[in-house]
Amino acid sequence: MTFGQIALWGLVVGFVMSMVIITGFAYTTLLERKVLARMQARVGPNRAGYIPLPGRGGQEKKLLAGFLQPAADAVKLFFKEDPTPGKADKVVYNIAPMLAVIPAILILAVIPWAGKIPGLVPEQYSYFAIVPGLNVAVLFVLAVTSISVYGVVLAGWASNSKYAVLGGIRASAQMISYELAMSLSVLVPVMIANSMDLGVIVEAQRGGWIVFLQPVAAVIFCIAALAELQRAPFDLLEAEQELSAGFNVEYAGMRFGMFFMAEYMKMVSLSAIAATLFFGGYRGPFVDQVPVLGFVYLFVKIFIGLFLMIWIRATFPRLRYDQLMLFGWKRLLPISVINFMIVAVFIVLAQEGVFAPITRLFGF
Amino acid sequence: MSEAILEAPGSGAPETLANPVEQAISALKERFPEAVVDDPRDGYSGLVVPADKLTEVALALRDDLGFDYLSSVTGVDLIEDGKLEAVYHTYSIDKGGSAVVLHVQVDRDNPVIPSLVPVWPGADFQEREAWDLLGIQFDGHPDLRRILTWDGFHGHPLRKDWKEPFYEEDTKPFGSRWPAGGVLRAEELNPYGQNVQYPAGWVPTGDEYDVETEMYAITGADLAYSIDASQQMKTDKITVNLGPQHPSTHGVFRMVVQLDGETVVDLKPVMGYLHRNHEKIGERNTFLGNIPYTDRLDYLSPISNNLGYVLAVEKLLGSVVPERAEWIRILTVELTRIANHLWAIGFLLNDLGALQTPMLYFYIERELILDFFEALTGARMMNNYMRFGGVAYDLPDEIRGQATMEFLNELVHERLPRAIEQGDNLMTHNEIVRARSIGVGVLTRKESIAYSMAGPMLRASGVNYDVRKAEPYSYYEQLDFDIPVYYNGDVYDRYKVRMDELQQSLRIVRQVLPHLQATEGAPIIDGKPSYAIRTPQPGEAYGRVENPKGELGFYVTAKRRSSSPERYHVRAPSFINLTSLGKMCQGHKVADIVVILGSIDIVLGEVDR
Repeated sequence: MTFGQIALWGLVVGFVMSMVIITGFAYTTLLERKVLARMQARVGPNRAGYIPLPGRGGQEKKLLAGFLQPAADAVKLFFKEDPTPGKADKVVYNIAPMLAVIPAILILAVIPWAGKIPGLVPEQYSYFAIVPGLNVAVLFVLAVTSISVYGVVLAGWASNSKYAVLGGIRASAQMISYELAMSLSVLVPVMIANSMDLGVIVEAQRGGWIVFLQPVAAVIFCIAALAELQRAPFDLLEAEQELSAGFNVEYAGMRFGMFFMAEYMKMVSLSAIAATLFFGGYRGPFVDQVPVLGFVYLFVKIFIGLFLMIWIRATFPRLRYDQLMLFGWKRLLPISVINFMIVAVFIVLAQEGVFAPITRLFGF
Repeated sequence: MSEAILEAPGSGAPETLANPVEQAISALKERFPEAVVDDPRDGYSGLVVPADKLTEVALALRDDLGFDYLSSVTGVDLIEDGKLEAVYHTYSIDKGGSAVVLHVQVDRDNPVIPSLVPVWPGADFQEREAWDLLGIQFDGHPDLRRILTWDGFHGHPLRKDWKEPFYEEDTKPFGSRWPAGGVLRAEELNPYGQNVQYPAGWVPTGDEYDVETEMYAITGADLAYSIDASQQMKTDKITVNLGPQHPSTHGVFRMVVQLDGETVVDLKPVMGYLHRNHEKIGERNTFLGNIPYTDRLDYLSPISNNLGYVLAVEKLLGSVVPERAEWIRILTVELTRIANHLWAIGFLLNDLGALQTPMLYFYIERELILDFFEALTGARMMNNYMRFGGVAYDLPDEIRGQATMEFLNELVHERLPRAIEQGDNLMTHNEIVRARSIGVGVLTRKESIAYSMAGPMLRASGVNYDVRKAEPYSYYEQLDFDIPVYYNGDVYDRYKVRMDELQQSLRIVRQVLPHLQATEGAPIIDGKPSYAIRTPQPGEAYGRVENPKGELGFYVTAKRRSSSPERYHVRAPSFINLTSLGKMCQGHKVADIVVILGSIDIVLGEVDR
């Protein structure tokens, strides 16, 4: 294919995938509300939309009750009055939600969704992604996730509210603390696969997922990702009990909704990244024979990731600001540095052939 | 639960030969001859102390005579004598028993009484309340501002000659609201439209916030910035209003917090947004008609409130409560305690950020208790159940299709223990719960007594004091239960005290159930149920109960042949427990404020009254 064709292909795929994820985000909110409700002995949203089925005794059974709730939420958010506070910095106040959403969509560009599907993937690439074959994909992910904090910090600052400022300050401090641990744990799969291309990292897990080789890095990544996502128990910046809503306290309507859009889309994409880096990505049984199965496997892994995040939110109390900092700097960072160094040393030793006698002993 | 340190009630207390109250009174009379005398009025039991001797008497009571706990401070307007009276109830933590009551009478036109805040910091809010509602000036009080009414309020509403604007004008029927006539505006239809008389010099248009400069001036009295020692950098302190509209203040409660970064430098509670002058309403009601109003104080434990009020008036009436009624009272009150503590613990964990899950699990069982109350009293929350000399209704035959005793047995033997154990397993040893609550909001034993803390707050600080043991009412003397006491005085210990109290309340209810079965069909009220009660004996009475939130006291005075109380005062545990909030929060983080407030377990209906 020519360059132009590939660009056009990328545009089409990007548009389609973004639409899929944006719709999927809406259903992530429904998933969260339903799962949270079930965990809290409640029913959850069950009014908006259902499929009537004839049930016993002339009563109709309601199948999938509540499946239109996201649409109802969206309609509500779009039609709500959306005032700007009088003393807010208007330009920044209006830009901030966009700055939060854009990085969340950008991360989607590099996620490998499936293997090489004939006819769908240009022949020079080996997997299906919006931007396949990006050789700095991991760096791209790290860069974009760090940018997303600007939306939060600027929203907090521009709102001209004390709660919002406190939330914004917490966001920036938290992001800096956990970014380091996250980067260092991300480097472990990069070193093992010897590439920053996410597709290559997935293919490197053909023999076994990296989580089995490096559970420490996987755990650190998951914790740091929770902190990056500002999800419980690290949701200090929108701590409802303390700051009422933190950085988004002055927002209303769809601009308020955009922060949630960003949060839920990042939940989806970071689950996908975690699956890609540590849990075999789109790989699974028979994926080489039927590459389309890759979508299914990745979807299942994303779903498990989302479910875990919701589960954690339903069960854990929140950390305090200073405890969060302490945990990030004094626990996670040293562990990930040491882990990183151990991995590096082992890889060099393996390349030097130090382990050759041992592997030979076991008949590899 | 195995770590619980349960103290056997009164095991270490030596047998005192004479009543400690009589001993203290005679000692005081000896020490201050002529100054301190018995109250000569009929039905009054305390001492009359001249204002200038009050501080000395208080110090003697606190330091030498062991009456170290100031339970209640209030005032009475004796308009016929031209006097204002302040009433103090002091108790002995070690000896238990009833109160040494001090009456201080001062001239109504110049009501100055020395403040007892230097002696008992717990008098702080109560003296402010007495200033606000009665206009008694407490000399030497560090911060004598209005507390329940707002800054622009005119007059002191509990004074007998205070007239409610519009409704209590001297000439009736009401005069025209627009003297010139012919103008009617929508806002004029608001009956409270002219309720406010603004202080001189205050212009109600423009910058309304100016009224609170006094409060902000106090919180910002220190430097408005702090200096970072390493870089000589000035960093601003900011003042944040947490509340009155805030998800975690448990109602319309406001805290003016001064922050240095995330650290709390100073905190002032601001209350009164729910103020309805419960006491004034109570003084207009008949004795009987006031019972439903007490439901609304601590609306999470209405039956306990009923009991406190009913006990106080029964002292005046001299009623005898039949046996079955007493057992039903204990049953309902202890179930109320369980319901309240389930709520309190759930909310505390919610304040810790455990998004409602523990709370909702506790509510499943709380609902069952409310079902019982609904079947028993007809209401799930505002029960209005106690009557003078008994209770309103006997136990119902069935609850939700189940025989009552069967329902109760299942509740206290199976469902509640299971729920409590489940919560205990999930939360007590949770790493984050422990990290967030251990060492947070510490009150030492000495401080908690000085600040007049009550209930679980007091017992978490190592004070073995429970009204049910110290001055037993109803049949608590016959029941076998322990008082859980913990010694660190932090949020975690308060949580554990409540957890243990749940178990103890269950223990009490289990002992009560056989008695209920044995007394089936017995009378539940002294005499006939009546819509009007005979007028009580003149005098004063202080009825106190161990409410789930702490010691709830009702101070009631009655005149001869009067159908409504002359003075009706509520010693609200939530309100007085808030006195130490500022102290507990200092030096902690913003997130801790919410947790500490949650550990106090306030209900705004009771705080603001």
